[in-house]
Amino acid sequence: MITATELHAQGFKPPRTIEELRKYLQAAIEVEHLTIPVYMTGMYTIRPDTNRLAYYAIRSVVLEEMLHLTLAANLLNAVGGKPNVAHPEFVAEYPAKLPFSSDELPLIGLRHFSPKALDTFLTIERPRSLVPPEEGEGWTSIGQFYAAIADGLRALVEEKGEAAVFTGDPARQVGPEDFYNSGGEAFPIAGLKSALTAIEVISEQGEGADDSIWDSDDKFFGEERQLAHYFRFNEIRTGRSYGRHDTPRTPPSGPLLDVTWDDAYKIHGDSKVADYKEYEETSRVYEEAVAFNQCYATLLSYLDSAFDGWPRLMCLAVPTMLELGDRAERLYRNPHPDPALAKKGVCASATFELGVRHFDAAREQVEQNIEAVDRTPGAPIDLSAATMQKREQFA
Amino acid sequence: MNGTAAAWDADRRRYDAIIVGAGWSGSLIAERLGAKGWQVLVLEAGNGGDETWEGHLDAVRTFHSAVAKVPNSPYRRNTAAPSPDVLDLAPVRDPEPGKPEFTANGYLVQQGALPYGTDYLRALGGTGMHWLGAVPRMHADDFGTDTDYGYGRDWPIGAEDLQRHYAEAERAMGVAGDADEQRKLGVVTDPDYVYPMHGIPQSHIDDYCQKRVGGHEIHDEVAGETYTINITGLPQARNSTPDPRYAGGAGYRPKGAVGLANYGERCVGNASCVPICPVQARSTPLRIQAGFSGSVTVATRSVVTRVLRGRGAYVRGVEYRTYGDPATPVSRSYTAEADVVVLAAHAIENARLLLFSELANGSDQVGRNLMDHPTMVAWGLTAEADGNIGPFRGPGHTSGWEEFRFGDARGTRAPFRIEIGNWGWGWANGAPMSNVATALGVGGDAAGEVRDKGIFGPELRRFLGSTIGRQLQLQCAVEQAADPENRVTIDPRKHRDAMGNPRPVIAYDLDEHTRKGVYAAYLVAGRIFAEMGAQNRTDFRPVGGLPPLGHFVYPTDDSVDGEVHLAYHGAGHGAGTHVMGADRSTSVVDSHQRTHDHPNLYAVGCGSMPSIGTSNPTVTMAALALRSAERIHQDLAELHGAVLPRPRTQKTEVPA
Repeated sequence: MITATELHAQGFKPPRTIEELRKYLQAAIEVEHLTIPVYMTGMYTIRPDTNRLAYYAIRSVVLEEMLHLTLAANLLNAVGGKPNVAHPEFVAEYPAKLPFSSDELPLIGLRHFSPKALDTFLTIERPRSLVPPEEGEGWTSIGQFYAAIADGLRALVEEKGEAAVFTGDPARQVGPEDFYNSGGEAFPIAGLKSALTAIEVISEQGEGADDSIWDSDDKFFGEERQLAHYFRFNEIRTGRSYGRHDTPRTPPSGPLLDVTWDDAYKIHGDSKVADYKEYEETSRVYEEAVAFNQCYATLLSYLDSAFDGWPRLMCLAVPTMLELGDRAERLYRNPHPDPALAKKGVCASATFELGVRHFDAAREQVEQNIEAVDRTPGAPIDLSAATMQKREQFA
Repeated sequence: MNGTAAAWDADRRRYDAIIVGAGWSGSLIAERLGAKGWQVLVLEAGNGGDETWEGHLDAVRTFHSAVAKVPNSPYRRNTAAPSPDVLDLAPVRDPEPGKPEFTANGYLVQQGALPYGTDYLRALGGTGMHWLGAVPRMHADDFGTDTDYGYGRDWPIGAEDLQRHYAEAERAMGVAGDADEQRKLGVVTDPDYVYPMHGIPQSHIDDYCQKRVGGHEIHDEVAGETYTINITGLPQARNSTPDPRYAGGAGYRPKGAVGLANYGERCVGNASCVPICPVQARSTPLRIQAGFSGSVTVATRSVVTRVLRGRGAYVRGVEYRTYGDPATPVSRSYTAEADVVVLAAHAIENARLLLFSELANGSDQVGRNLMDHPTMVAWGLTAEADGNIGPFRGPGHTSGWEEFRFGDARGTRAPFRIEIGNWGWGWANGAPMSNVATALGVGGDAAGEVRDKGIFGPELRRFLGSTIGRQLQLQCAVEQAADPENRVTIDPRKHRDAMGNPRPVIAYDLDEHTRKGVYAAYLVAGRIFAEMGAQNRTDFRPVGGLPPLGHFVYPTDDSVDGEVHLAYHGAGHGAGTHVMGADRSTSVVDSHQRTHDHPNLYAVGCGSMPSIGTSNPTVTMAALALRSAERIHQDLAELHGAVLPRPRTQKTEVPA
């Protein structure tokens, strides 16, 4: 998060040089990622098989954030940069400050599925049109941040020519064969046109196209049009779905949705692994929480390799995401190891604390598995060799 | 988005085409005709709902909570439009010699010597909702077995007539496979063809089998031939990695889940393809339905009762009944008319409808030639020293031994395809649940007393770990040739379902050629187990007087007893009941699946197939359906003169 925090502090302005542009794009990757642990926590704290509409709505947003992260990485690779996602400073410490937004906004914390969590989600996704920027002021929304990148990009291309800006190796682009059916698909960025499309996809899936409640999946991907993130979340928050003709400024007017806030694992979102360690003797939560963070570091390490010249390595990230989901289900259902909190019905939660040692610990397994799979572009994906190494036994 | 109409919206309307049944064939034809702008009504007897995400999740949950995970277990009982279920059959203890060894207590009335152990599903999407997704093409040799090997019936067309349609079907269904392997087998003939997606990776079991016996010689005693066996991957209709070489470098975009935008994973090995893939990586006809144009109307809970005769030899439409509550048979009758009527309701249902409508039976072949792939399921325990071979992971099967499918041995015994099962002894004896029950001592002894030999705790875990992890099951699907005595009839006076429709009455048996194939497969499987150092546990002898389902005794010359106990399972591949042929006096439909007797009545599906080779028949059925769709489009175009309608853009959506 340090790049984003630094840029935020400099105040609202478009990037003026290639170096600045690369910095902005690394910040964009960080901002897209910032939301993922927040939404994941909301999703994983839903008790299994309850609140299904809410669960799949949040899940769909998480997938689209991953798409945005990937598109932002493609953008950075396209302009000759090098995305860095496997680094302790890439990950925010929660509760975190939302960059490129009003300084008045409350901190973004990890919260269980609840009206308060949804309020946080809405804060993150608030469309530009609902918070118009004021002259000479600071940042007001993430949409505004992307608009600044687009402006900067256009100006740079005008100044230097397209070829001088898009100097990245096309082989580093993640394409649809490695990322698909997830609210659109990743596409390679080769020039100004595709770059602006990527920025448009990111903005419109979040806050809606043309000041409407809808995204533009129909326009870009020939898929079904969906509500933009802000409005998808607002449906859950208000317990009512949007009608066909609703607008961003009207409340949802459609049928009621089945949302049961009680069907969630209540958590203390500020819990840290260190808190769990105190109760190591009496509870396995500590071990599980460490294993979860380790798994998350592994996931980021695979993504890092996929963004660093081997898009096909996305295939190793997928089973790691499935593992993360399984680990979450094992973790959140436990009472908080602190008896005082447990008494109040608080459950254990993932902390998303990643340090250098997590990435170091992941390295060996990651490198081994990268060697074990065929990463040639277009080759079939076969993870047999990678799965053989685990050989877990029943007893 | 998929939408379905209420039955009464379709009442007394006129369409260009009425399609009976919304499974693979019906959906493919409706999609093609709809794309050309024709007004199409699809009548589905069963329930809809799975086209929505909630409906899909409900089916997944119903499956999870089912005690017996049989193919129909995700779907609730439907009294108004009942489906046969594999649980309808039960063996008879100490059967009288010469009498059937089984009873049937379901939708099908079974009067044959042997059980027809196959189910199907009457629901939106049909049996395509619970199929495995195996899509191997048929081999050129499979189309002329009578001429070449002296058994079964020949097709009026050959493999070369279907290649183009096979490729089209593989695109529509979304097939993952290795074309080079299939070319080597001779089933794919286009030298440049690649499947839309790369093959699904082979399982650890496949690798194990290839390491252990790949390149070894296996003797087939019955045929008197020796085969060198090597595994071949199975083409499957499930999402994997798109192949960038597909369609001359255009690539392929996998289709996602139906009912939820943003979803649709690649196969990640959930290992419940039959009956339901929780992430919808496996293809279903609902994907085709999601692409229906606005001129296609789908009505569920609409049971077609009769095809109505029109002027001369023509038919004019259908009569159908619609119900509100699947638990009760209360229903109302409606009619709809069309220029073309297409029966796409499953081999047995098509025959039942034709028989009850008294149509298309000038040849007396309607309902006859009922076929399946009787499947001899062998099970063995691999060598302990080889460790865990990884069962219960991945799709039901990902590779097979294809060597026994082809060649002159077919003249001696029926050919068979050996599927290497990935789900342990699940099909053979209900593993792994049965292993747990046995270990715990559940079930009691013969006298009904609790057994005291149960094991618990770590001992139980070790026991299960060492035995379940070594389960290997070989599913030998044997070709069954058309036999006019294997047939579907109706007896409306005696056997009707709750709504009043005649139930199918089945007479089924295996002829000598097929039994010989089952026997040969039994011996071959035993040799393979021996070759890999596995213990062959295959045993079809009655236990305590109780024979296994599909049990029969086969006489042999060389064994001590002079006979061997064998058994087979149904494969769910019902076929042959409105057989295709060039001669109207001996067949029901022509090569375009149009009935010889009625120029505007088509009967499509596996029922048209004169032989089914050793390939799972769905992809061939789909290829035939696409071929018919072209013909029907021509029929309609000729009927309406040269002016072809334009596709409508607006879709009529009437929620049921």
